[in-house]
Amino acid sequence: MAGPRPRVEYLAGFCCPLGGLAAGKPRVLCHGAEIFLSTGSELVYVYDREGRLLIAVYKFPGQVWHLELLTLRRVLYVLCARSGIYCLSLDQTTRSVTQDEDGGDDQDSEDGQVSEPPVPVIPVDPDSCVLPDTSLHAFTVLDDALVTLALGPTQWKMQLFERPSPGEDPRPGGQIGEVELSTCTPPAESQGESVAPRFLPVLCCASPPGSRTPLGHSWSSGGVTLEGALFGLLFGADAALLESPVVLCGLPDGQLCCVIVKTLVTSTSAPGDPKALVKILHHLEEPVVFIGALRTEPLAEDVEDVHCDCLVALGHHGRTLAIKASWDEAGHLVPELREYSIPGPVLCAACDRSSRVYHSTSAGLRVVDLAQEGSPLDPMEHDGAPGSLPALLYPDSLGVCSLATLCVSSGEPEGGAELLALSAKGRLMICHLDPHNEAPQPSRVTSAKAGQKIKQLLSGIGTVSERVSSLKKAVDQRDKALTCLNEVMNVSCALLSSREGPRPISCTISTAWSRLQLQDVLMATCLLENSSSFSLDRGWALCVQVLRSSRALDLDSAGSAITYTIPVDQLGPGGRREVTLPLGPGEDGALDLPVTVSCALFYSLREVVGRALAPRDPFKDPPSAEDTPVVLPEQDGVCLPLSEHTVDMLQGLRFPSLGVPHTEALGPAKDPIHTFLGTCRMPGSQPAGPESLRAKYLPPSVATIKVSAELLRAALGDSHAGMSLGCATLQWLLTENPAADIVKAQALSSVQGVAPDGTDVHLIIREVTVTDLCPAGPIQATEIQVESSSLANMCRAHHAIVRRLQRLVVEQAARGSSPPDLRLQYLHQMQANHETLLREVQMLRDRLCTEDEASSCATAQRLLQVYRRLRSPSLLLL
Amino acid sequence: MAHKTPPGSSASHVSCLDLWREKNDQLVRQAKVAQDSSLPLRRQQLAQDALEGLKGLLCSLRGLPATVSVLPLELTVICNFITLRASLAQGFAEELAQDIQQGLERVLETQGQPEARPEHGLRGLWDSALRASSLLPELLPALHHLAGLQAALWLTTNRLGDLTLLLQTLTVSQSRASEDVLPLLKTWRPPVEESDAPLTLQDARGLRDVLLTAFAYRQGLQELITGSLPKALSSLHEAASGLCPRSLLVQVYTALGTCLRKMGSPQRALLYLVAALKEGSTWGPPLLEASRLYQQLGNIAAEIESLELLVEALSITRIPEARQLLIEVELLLPRPDPASPLHCGTQSQAKCLLASRCLQTGRAADAAEHYLDLLALLLHGSEPKFSPPPCPPGPCMPELFLEAAAALIQAGRAQDALTVCEELLNRTSFLLPKRPRLWEDARRRTKESPHCSPWVSATHLLQGQAWVQLGAQKEAISEYSRCLELLFQATPKDEEQGNQDASYHLLHTLRRLDRRDEATALWRRLEAQTELLPENTAWSLPLYLETCLGWIRPPDRETLREEFQTSGDL
Repeated sequence: MAGPRPRVEYLAGFCCPLGGLAAGKPRVLCHGAEIFLSTGSELVYVYDREGRLLIAVYKFPGQVWHLELLTLRRVLYVLCARSGIYCLSLDQTTRSVTQDEDGGDDQDSEDGQVSEPPVPVIPVDPDSCVLPDTSLHAFTVLDDALVTLALGPTQWKMQLFERPSPGEDPRPGGQIGEVELSTCTPPAESQGESVAPRFLPVLCCASPPGSRTPLGHSWSSGGVTLEGALFGLLFGADAALLESPVVLCGLPDGQLCCVIVKTLVTSTSAPGDPKALVKILHHLEEPVVFIGALRTEPLAEDVEDVHCDCLVALGHHGRTLAIKASWDEAGHLVPELREYSIPGPVLCAACDRSSRVYHSTSAGLRVVDLAQEGSPLDPMEHDGAPGSLPALLYPDSLGVCSLATLCVSSGEPEGGAELLALSAKGRLMICHLDPHNEAPQPSRVTSAKAGQKIKQLLSGIGTVSERVSSLKKAVDQRDKALTCLNEVMNVSCALLSSREGPRPISCTISTAWSRLQLQDVLMATCLLENSSSFSLDRGWALCVQVLRSSRALDLDSAGSAITYTIPVDQLGPGGRREVTLPLGPGEDGALDLPVTVSCALFYSLREVVGRALAPRDPFKDPPSAEDTPVVLPEQDGVCLPLSEHTVDMLQGLRFPSLGVPHTEALGPAKDPIHTFLGTCRMPGSQPAGPESLRAKYLPPSVATIKVSAELLRAALGDSHAGMSLGCATLQWLLTENPAADIVKAQALSSVQGVAPDGTDVHLIIREVTVTDLCPAGPIQATEIQVESSSLANMCRAHHAIVRRLQRLVVEQAARGSSPPDLRLQYLHQMQANHETLLREVQMLRDRLCTEDEASSCATAQRLLQVYRRLRSPSLLLL
Repeated sequence: MAHKTPPGSSASHVSCLDLWREKNDQLVRQAKVAQDSSLPLRRQQLAQDALEGLKGLLCSLRGLPATVSVLPLELTVICNFITLRASLAQGFAEELAQDIQQGLERVLETQGQPEARPEHGLRGLWDSALRASSLLPELLPALHHLAGLQAALWLTTNRLGDLTLLLQTLTVSQSRASEDVLPLLKTWRPPVEESDAPLTLQDARGLRDVLLTAFAYRQGLQELITGSLPKALSSLHEAASGLCPRSLLVQVYTALGTCLRKMGSPQRALLYLVAALKEGSTWGPPLLEASRLYQQLGNIAAEIESLELLVEALSITRIPEARQLLIEVELLLPRPDPASPLHCGTQSQAKCLLASRCLQTGRAADAAEHYLDLLALLLHGSEPKFSPPPCPPGPCMPELFLEAAAALIQAGRAQDALTVCEELLNRTSFLLPKRPRLWEDARRRTKESPHCSPWVSATHLLQGQAWVQLGAQKEAISEYSRCLELLFQATPKDEEQGNQDASYHLLHTLRRLDRRDEATALWRRLEAQTELLPENTAWSLPLYLETCLGWIRPPDRETLREEFQTSGDL
């Protein structure tokens, strides 16, 4: 169903900044033949619609944020940013018309871009500021009062003032009431004072039907009269009994609340209690850009006053709320509340006297109809269950370019509507909407009409060309996004298809100790190499995840992961990029090895594609993060895993005794005083501290592993030929450690290292003979012994060795080497021994849970002994 | 420290410092001019400009590495900025804490401790900065001034623990450490700024005095609310003896009156209330307190008179004086709380209180007049003057109408009562069920709980009562029936009591009309209900029902019961 096609009538062009007018602050109002207009700059224009000329231009000391017209008293109220509310008498403006009559007729000469209006700019007299307040963000005018919304340090504050008239002295004592609305999210920047907020709060004044103080302003200024039932339902019996107007307030955080004006009273000692005065109606969860009301059900013939039966609020991203009063089957009043989602971002909106909401997005002006479609409004039916709200809304494009602000002006014939609109490019126009949408009737055209017609066509072309340019921009952006996507696909395919063999894009990870400030830090270096034929452009990022193992003694705590995201800015074919990251020790001095470092490439779809997929909003100058539409969730992107590397104790060991450069273990000396004391310590004196005391008085923890010499020889192969098996084994264990070369050079078979936390770790390789195991005779074996004064470090080193041996055994098994015959009896015996020990461990641990402190100490001792036996198995790896 | 010397020769450095100092002094003078200006707009613009200027100056100072020679100026500029900003916004924004923090970090930067344990937060920073400044006596005056502002900020955000520790650090050399803020504040002596120091908007000692009064008042009020009266008395005395602006003095005296009343010294309380009334332009709180005092003493005439005066006092709109561009005591007071004993509400609330007290104390004619005045004020007054009492949830206007009707009936003005009731029903007609159900229909479907407000049925009850007074029994019966119908619709157990009273009254009227059959049927149902209910349950009714029940309950019920028990089985 096509909406009514509007007839567009171009009036004038106003200067607008590069990139178009930002929505939210421009305003346009109409009173008779006079149009009042602000574009968000410091100027307020008065335009005569009949004479088609600019009457007056007023210059304010700051940006103009809002206009309100009080038609009965013929005054215009202007909110000027960081200054306050000014009041201009309309009689004065008309007086100035006569003086400036000759100017401003041809100001829309070329492209409507008027740089300097020919009408003299009248600076506004500072005395006409009736309410100086730098924190005001919105206001609305009642017949005898002014409702303002100011941004306090932490909250929005609604204030009610006696309505000041032009020429009156500003009276700060005119305040009648005040209440604070719920907390606002303060502007992110602390420099927020100098930056204008993107969204201003929206106020709308609703009156009950029989109100004795009729709202003194026209429809365009945003006051509405609600039907009794809806009014009572929304605002309660108090508001209905008091017949008080109610101020509806939509905040930039999405909250929709209301305040009954007659209850908003400040006593001398206290502002109003928000709990009693402010009622929160809804939360749109996006900035509220419009509040209005409309009539969804047709009126009886003879009713003159239009009482709206449906309240509407629109959010910036298109969330639309409609509330109606309806009756349940028992005949009781219940609210009918519906939320819709229409394509956003909504820049401005207006309601007419019917059931339609006009709203402009960046793609143009649209209309939705809230009358239940298709239901013939049978009066009988209507009486019982009033027509409910439609289940879905279908926005209809009206073929008019994107608008910065609009208002519905009255005075059209029955059923029709007339929109006064200011386009994003600063063009003022009138759209006549004919609901009947009659087909154009061929009629004889008089020459006078022809001129009119041509003018209409021209202005039509103007709006079309404006739409074309914005659409073209969108298409360009989509093209660019698609090119990017294509490249991403290429890279992804190249990486994912090469499961075997060297990958076209690789990341190798190595570790080394280095000194940062006063502390030694284990650094991981990730080298990203692009050997593919594609280049990694903007949008790609290298994600390095460092996953720490959980604390050895704290079984419950899960390992913590840190992800570093490094943008890869242009990495062409053959390019390399190196990234170095600290692994630890952290602030607490601990480095919990093993640490798993995994690298992946990430491409953020949100960044490149997201912006192009949604209709872009040309009205915003810098696209900010919050504008990104809801098409893509936060994390959406392409993630390609590259490599994973585990850094264990054997890689983290340092060997100061070997004189390896950069390995003088200073330990996690965080405190400079400790460092100082440490360096001052006399040679030969005993180190202090619990660790060294433990080393001195407690026997070191020991673990051993036996591996058959044959297995080791086969695994180590030729690379270690010419040296003792012990030395070769040690060198193999320390392959990824810088000390490996020294071990090789000095032919060591035992080595004393230092763990990251400064405790000693001793690795000793011995050659032994195992006799009982094999019927064929004794087996030559290598015994690897780990010793450390710290149990935790011993465990870590042990774990690292076992991990390497496991890998080695699996590799050897794959090669098909077969172990020699074994004496099964002996193996069974050993297994039985172990099972007994394991059972005892289980039993001891169970007991630990139930015992008190004294006896649990003994149990713990026993548990440690059993563990020690378990760590020295007589088992041999073959 | 060579790298910390700002670029340029030392001569130009000194002149630069002078330039900045001159800028600060000029901005402070501008703010003082703004304060004296009588035009609000000009005043605001001048002050706003001064604020922007101070901010700009601060930015330039922060652009250079911190040095001991520039820091006193920089800290003074921060103090001036915070003072002006807080007094303009009438509150301490969260960002001000960051300004303080930045200042402290700059102090530590000169000591080569750029990263001074941020984990201890602002408090740790203060510790380090004050320790560092003991080596730099030239920093002390400005640092104490900044500490005063920090104390003000922590006072308004109720972080008394931090405040105590800060004051202990500040006064550590002057006395032994105390745990209480009040003695600490008293012993704290901010060092006097030298005569050639950069200008400040408010000096540290003045700020200290303001803090002392504000804290004493806050503490006294808190203790008054929690009931530790002797402590409250001493804290409030402390507040009254300090630097106390007149408007606050009224409140302090009133609070002293409340405190003494609660301690059982009504005569001394009265003396303070008189003093409060003499003191200032705000008469509301002391008059309300006086009415409470007379109520406690049982002096109804004086109580009503106080309330009448209160209504008059509240009808005067007071034009607030322009705030000074300083940290004032008022800025540090807790947000006015409607639950506070010093809250005196609005004129309409006072009028409402007056009317209800008249009704409760049997002055029905006065009560009726006051209620009618109040309704006229609310419904026809052009100025909004009504604020609902903060406590009860739900609408309170209907109750006001009902109380008015009850008072009118009590005063023998049944016709007026009927008008009030009709007005109430008219104005809320659209909130009532659209299709009223028939009696039988409603009884069958009691499961449904329609949310028809109880005050609608109460309206019919009062209408019935008014008709009885006018001698129109038939109309009375129809109103009572309507009342019952609505009550039976909304039939949760908690409505039973009021329900029963209405039922008995209906029974009585039916009997008087000699409609015996209906009366007997109703009687049986009531008897059945009575067995289910515990007798004499504690029951707190709204005033309008209380008044209404005063007319019918005691004589009718028991006699009716007896009569029916003897004759009902016919």
